[in-house]
Amino acid sequence: MNAPITSNNPNNSKCAIDVQNLTVGYGSKILMQNLNFTVNNGEIFVILGGSGCGKSSLLKNLFGLYQPLAGNVLIEGQNITTAQGAERQKIMTSFGVMYQQGALFGSMNLLDNVTLFMQEYTQLTESQMNLLARCKLDLVGLLPFESYMPSEISGGMQKRAAIARAMALDPKILFLDEPSAGLDPITSADLDSTIQDLSKNLGITFVIVSHELASIYAIADKVIMLDKDAKGIIAEGDPKVLRDTSKDPRVHQFFNRIMSKDVA
Amino acid sequence: MSVSDNISIDSKAPVAVWAQVDATSAKVSLSGIVNVYSLGGVWTQIRESQDAWFKQGDNKAKTITVDTSNVASLDGAGIAFLIALEEAQAIAGGKFALTGLDPRYQPLLKEFDPIANLFPTPVVKPKRSFVVSTGMAAQNLIDDAAGLISFTGHLFADLVWSIRNPKQVRWGDFINAAVEAGVAALPIVGLVAFLIGVILSFQAAIGMEQFGAVSFVGPLAALGIVREMGPLITAILLAGRSSAAFAAEIGTMTVNSEVDALVSGGLSPIRFLVVPRVLAGILVAPILTLFADIVSIFSSMLTMLIYGIPFVNFYNGMLAAVSIEDVLSGLLKATLFGVVVSAMGCLRGMQTGTGAAAVGISATRAVVSSIVMIVLVDGIFAFISYKTGF
Repeated sequence: MNAPITSNNPNNSKCAIDVQNLTVGYGSKILMQNLNFTVNNGEIFVILGGSGCGKSSLLKNLFGLYQPLAGNVLIEGQNITTAQGAERQKIMTSFGVMYQQGALFGSMNLLDNVTLFMQEYTQLTESQMNLLARCKLDLVGLLPFESYMPSEISGGMQKRAAIARAMALDPKILFLDEPSAGLDPITSADLDSTIQDLSKNLGITFVIVSHELASIYAIADKVIMLDKDAKGIIAEGDPKVLRDTSKDPRVHQFFNRIMSKDVA
Repeated sequence: MSVSDNISIDSKAPVAVWAQVDATSAKVSLSGIVNVYSLGGVWTQIRESQDAWFKQGDNKAKTITVDTSNVASLDGAGIAFLIALEEAQAIAGGKFALTGLDPRYQPLLKEFDPIANLFPTPVVKPKRSFVVSTGMAAQNLIDDAAGLISFTGHLFADLVWSIRNPKQVRWGDFINAAVEAGVAALPIVGLVAFLIGVILSFQAAIGMEQFGAVSFVGPLAALGIVREMGPLITAILLAGRSSAAFAAEIGTMTVNSEVDALVSGGLSPIRFLVVPRVLAGILVAPILTLFADIVSIFSSMLTMLIYGIPFVNFYNGMLAAVSIEDVLSGLLKATLFGVVVSAMGCLRGMQTGTGAAAVGISATRAVVSSIVMIVLVDGIFAFISYKTGF
């Protein structure tokens, strides 16, 4: 039995995710080393960084899909890194995940995709689950497409359906991997407003990997910026403040969309 | 302890309670944590009470009041529950009132306005008549045949093109496919061929023994093996292993738009993907068949030892009965099987629809079509042999 790991955040009750000395990588290849950060309840937290720096890998470590090389991730005070069996399943149902490519179940229509987890975890009847699923699909603007198969809708719609599926059990935390990439500006703005509503009104915590600067300025409460060479966090805080005040050339370049050759 | 027990542990008391105040008003009180777990069961009870209430008297005068002042937290499911009560009330013609709702939930409730959209009228799919479904099945058959003919034409053209431009053929893919379909298949082909040889000889020997003709089993088995069994078992194993593998591989490429990328880049997917695999099939099928022939005849020899036929007698009997033409005829047939099996695998792969399930369907169709085509080719070949004596 491992010694209980306590949160390093003094204000523990506010803390949705607590990351302690996390090392992310595959085998001997280390992507990120010794990460420490916390995500507060109800916060919209955005992970930034150039392509290939390990954002999606970090996300998969946060929600326990991959085992970190070292360190711990505490979700609402419970250590997902060491949890096993029923305890792990309980933690797993406290959050929802939207994968980069949607990852909808291809053999089910959108409504069934959303109700699948309800069928497994709740005692609701079919018509009640269908109503819940329609509410989720309505939130992402896909209500008229409930009986479509994933292969019959566009990539952007698949992503939105995947967000609806992630919300199926009304989790307290939602992990979204590039939710607005590939969406048209109007849909993207609608999605941003839905995320803000859910965060403000239902207190849902969002952990989002994103490149969309406009969307980040609009919704993010806090960002961390990762860097491939530094293998860690190079900036942390409010994105607008970082854009206007950061002295770090890498951060300045990223937030102001400056081409790499202009910096060198 | 089930998972749901685990999750709903903090919601022992019902989160919603029904109370009928008088004939025209009822009250639903929500309390505690109203979420997707705690509403299980309670939702049904409240809705049943509401429906029972609608059965008494005039519904137009009925008002339901939902009191949410004791709610600790409400999630999306809780809001959906409120919507369900409101909609049921609207359908019956009654009124709905909400009291004590925390203002932070108001924007979310507004998101779903008008709520009638959430209750679509179920669409009944029109049933197809027998005539229509028969017609559609026939059309599918015709389309399939047309696809097969057009594919055969393209494949033939590209094979001719490859012979004239051998440097342009993807020899790397060819070698990979040949190793995977040929070398890797040796153990299974050997095993099946060995057992077929044993079974064939035993079956024949049991019958022939009654007539004292056991010494003819060797020539009979050998002839059957080189002309029919060797090519057939090799082809069926190739269909199960390689045809399915080709279909799954090309099918996944189709799903991932890789085939589209070839076409939009001006490359023929048949030349690029199918030709190397068909050439591999042409190469490995006769070699595997020859291997199967040798193993089968050897196992037949071993079996006949049990009946007291020495190797040398078997060998001499076999030489008298089996000519080199018989072996060549079997190998030619095997080559045709190789073309058919690899081409069917590739064709079904390229016809893959979308999604993960489509790849599985393609692999199944590849094996089934391959085996049907093997039998068809075998039949045609038997007829030609009969007419020409080859």
